[in-house]
Amino acid sequence: MDVVKIIIDGKEVVTTKGKTVIQAAAEAGVAIPHYCYHPKLSIAGNCRMCLVEIEKMPKLQIACNTQVAEGMGVLTQSPKVLAVRKAVMEFLLINHPVDCPICDQAGECQLQNYYMEHNREASRFEVGKQHDRKKTIFGPNVIFDGERCIKCTRCVRFCQEITKTDELAVINRGDHSTIALFNDSVLDNPLSANVVDICPVGALTDRDFRFKVRVWYLQKTPSVCPGCSTGCNISVETYQNRIARFKPRINEAVNSHWICDEGRYCFHELTGGERLTTPLIRQEGGLVPATWENALHAVLAGLRSAKAAGVLSGRNTNEEAFLFAKLMKKLAPGSPLEVCYQERELNETQKILLSPDRSPNFRGARDMGVGANGGCGSLLEKLLAGDFSAGYIVGEDLLGANGADVTRRAALQKLSFLVVQDIRLSETAKLAHVVLPATHFGEKEGTYTNRKGRVQKLNAAVIAPEGALQDWQIFLRLLDSAGEKLSYSTPSQIFQALAEEVALYQGISYATIGDQGIQLGGGGVEQS
Amino acid sequence: MSMEKLLLRNIGVTDSHTLAVYQSRGGYQSWEKVVRNMKPVELIEEVKASGLRGRGGAGFPTGMKWSFVPKDSPKPKYLVCNADESEPGTFKDRLLIEQDPHAIIEGTLIAAYGIQSHTAFIYIRGELVAGAKILERAVEEACRAGYIGKNIFGSGYDLDVIVHRGAGAYICGEETALLSSLEGGRGWPKVKPPFPATHGLFGCPTVVNNVETLAALPWILERGAAAYAAMGTEKSKGTKLFSVSGHITRPGVYEVEMGYPFKKFLEEDCGGVPNGRKLKGVIPGGGSMPVLRPEEIEKVNLDYESVQAAGSMLGSGGVIVMDETTCMVRAASNIARFFAHESCGQCSPCREGCHWMEKIFHRIEHGEGQTGDLDLILNISGNIMGNTICPFGDAAAMPAAAFIRKFRPEFEAHIAEKKCTVAC
Repeated sequence: MDVVKIIIDGKEVVTTKGKTVIQAAAEAGVAIPHYCYHPKLSIAGNCRMCLVEIEKMPKLQIACNTQVAEGMGVLTQSPKVLAVRKAVMEFLLINHPVDCPICDQAGECQLQNYYMEHNREASRFEVGKQHDRKKTIFGPNVIFDGERCIKCTRCVRFCQEITKTDELAVINRGDHSTIALFNDSVLDNPLSANVVDICPVGALTDRDFRFKVRVWYLQKTPSVCPGCSTGCNISVETYQNRIARFKPRINEAVNSHWICDEGRYCFHELTGGERLTTPLIRQEGGLVPATWENALHAVLAGLRSAKAAGVLSGRNTNEEAFLFAKLMKKLAPGSPLEVCYQERELNETQKILLSPDRSPNFRGARDMGVGANGGCGSLLEKLLAGDFSAGYIVGEDLLGANGADVTRRAALQKLSFLVVQDIRLSETAKLAHVVLPATHFGEKEGTYTNRKGRVQKLNAAVIAPEGALQDWQIFLRLLDSAGEKLSYSTPSQIFQALAEEVALYQGISYATIGDQGIQLGGGGVEQS
Repeated sequence: MSMEKLLLRNIGVTDSHTLAVYQSRGGYQSWEKVVRNMKPVELIEEVKASGLRGRGGAGFPTGMKWSFVPKDSPKPKYLVCNADESEPGTFKDRLLIEQDPHAIIEGTLIAAYGIQSHTAFIYIRGELVAGAKILERAVEEACRAGYIGKNIFGSGYDLDVIVHRGAGAYICGEETALLSSLEGGRGWPKVKPPFPATHGLFGCPTVVNNVETLAALPWILERGAAAYAAMGTEKSKGTKLFSVSGHITRPGVYEVEMGYPFKKFLEEDCGGVPNGRKLKGVIPGGGSMPVLRPEEIEKVNLDYESVQAAGSMLGSGGVIVMDETTCMVRAASNIARFFAHESCGQCSPCREGCHWMEKIFHRIEHGEGQTGDLDLILNISGNIMGNTICPFGDAAAMPAAAFIRKFRPEFEAHIAEKKCTVAC
């Protein structure tokens, strides 16, 4: 790469040929304000917010479309530049409704931010604002407010360049220009809600999230999407101990700037419903509340030396899988363990991000020894064939929607002992002899290993309800009761232990995983 | 004014739009000479030597523009004739299109050969329905005669010419918006760089030349670059068309040698302001150029440099004459309305600023102007100038500011009196 030196505001910046001024400046920590520029989209150059002074050029130049050249002098804070930013801000706001009090973008709006940074003037516009549509539904997840739109065309370019689905277009001319659905299309591609994330203003909002929470009340926890094994990096954003939304977190080695809609909204399904807050034990007349002590005792008694099938959810962490494998080996040696895994067909747009499964940690679980016995399908077949006397099912409802799978139901009913560990009283749990209340992805700390072998960190975004225990805590207590005295008691310590025992994970720690993850096997797939 | 007509030499001749008449007057001989005897590089040198500059408004040297096209590009190259004449007050290209289409086609062929393009487009303004039909017929005639097509004059050189009608947006006269439109997209100017010479139509090397520029080529190749360069001034060579309209005794299209005195042109050639009225202002180069006051044109000559020195631009040569009965507020408001209507809406300063200015001009005109409105318009126009994707922003900002700066007392009176103060 050819090294190029440029001077930004008097300071020498070393960059590489082919970079634009806005990129070189960002790398040097100089933020040049912009709306239409997006690192993953083509250059539109339409907002004019990034105009800077380039020495020896008579006119101001847009930093997003100006390539660096050796010795180039760039001024980002000159009087001319500051004046034009102020002017552009004024232009962008004259027809804007300034309806911040009812706008979901308020608090994370670049119009608000840049107004405070670069304008702070009263409006000189008093000749009647141009009106536009206030609530046009673009698709199942996205709604459009034309009056707030600054026509940066990021959304249009996203649909042209990333999903290649072309649902959006600019129509009309001049200050009547607006964004619209092209012909009769609907913005319902598998990545559609990303246009909300890249919209720098409140024009495109998320139909699921809007009017729910003011964004400044949100607590943000970096984590990994539990939707499938791609392992998209997300920020889990919560309010009053509830997940309000997922937002993508940039990771060029995994999901770049995007997440899919299925992943974005999967927390509803994965966290909703009435939570179990006490263990249950089957007695005559049905499942009745029990103490943890009694419930765990019953599990130990029921599984010990049984021929048990162990089924772990693909949403359990590596730490949990590691302990589950240990536990089953101790209690019911020789029992086959599998992690839930099922594939489906994906279309071309889905393939941009989605993996065919919905098991974010199937690979990690297998690495920990849960699996490799012929797969989940084969285990279930054996279950149907009556090969087992007991079962331990964690975090999955094997009976499908509304408990529709009658053959599996019959097979599970034949087991002499079934323990189900889940967050809800699922249809499967209703068949159990012991039900253990556990936690979901958003409540736990741990690691997932994605389909491509990247180990990434989950962090607890919300607190589990009282009465439930973390899956790893349950396994630890069972191991303890079974006589396996272990020296560790936190996910971090469990990870340390597994990194010592599982060859593939040697040398990895929470610190090296960081918030961008680490590639197993020396980072061959890793990108900068 | 007595001079040989270069561009208008066939105008007024019966059936001048037909191939037979055009041929009888020496038509397509330059084309034949170029294809048979000249290498592209020689042609480019000849056009450079003539000093011909783009007649669409910017005045960029034509030969130099051609020379920017990479010769070793593996991509196809395109020549586009810009016949999207839409500048207010400009109707010179239309005359050529309707009455001398073969001159335009011959010029297009020569230019295409210069950059070794095998497909040339004539992009014609959508409203010029008759012109488009005439051009299409002329292209057909030229094809049948073998001037267009495969293996032209047995030289092995192939060239196709396609007439494409625009959809009626002023902005499509801007060369990159024209290319977007020609590609089938929205008529939006492209962000530069890259420039059309390397990344033009469909991302391929492209030259866009104005009708009048191309129409000058047959004469230049016929008589030689030196003959053309002998006319005009040091930097503005040859002749230029001016379309004169407004308060003038003899409106119409005139061919003038570059450097001809503006005042003499208006008073003697065009017959001056009629009805014994006095001249109040004149726009020399189409609606997007700053208006000049009568005293400002005293010593101005009709060439790029002289008009620029006077604070305006030669532009398209659309001369709009306004006499003393003209309400300059209304004139400015009218022009502002045009630009607000035609702004493509792509970049923020132009999209928002043009309409803002138009709304203020409108309220002043209708007796609702306020103190401070004039300075506000000047400020807005200054904020648009130079900060937009394409020259449209400047085209809207320049006349707005010029009208106010040059006729400020009239604007102030209009605001104070809440009505027009021009006796008429």
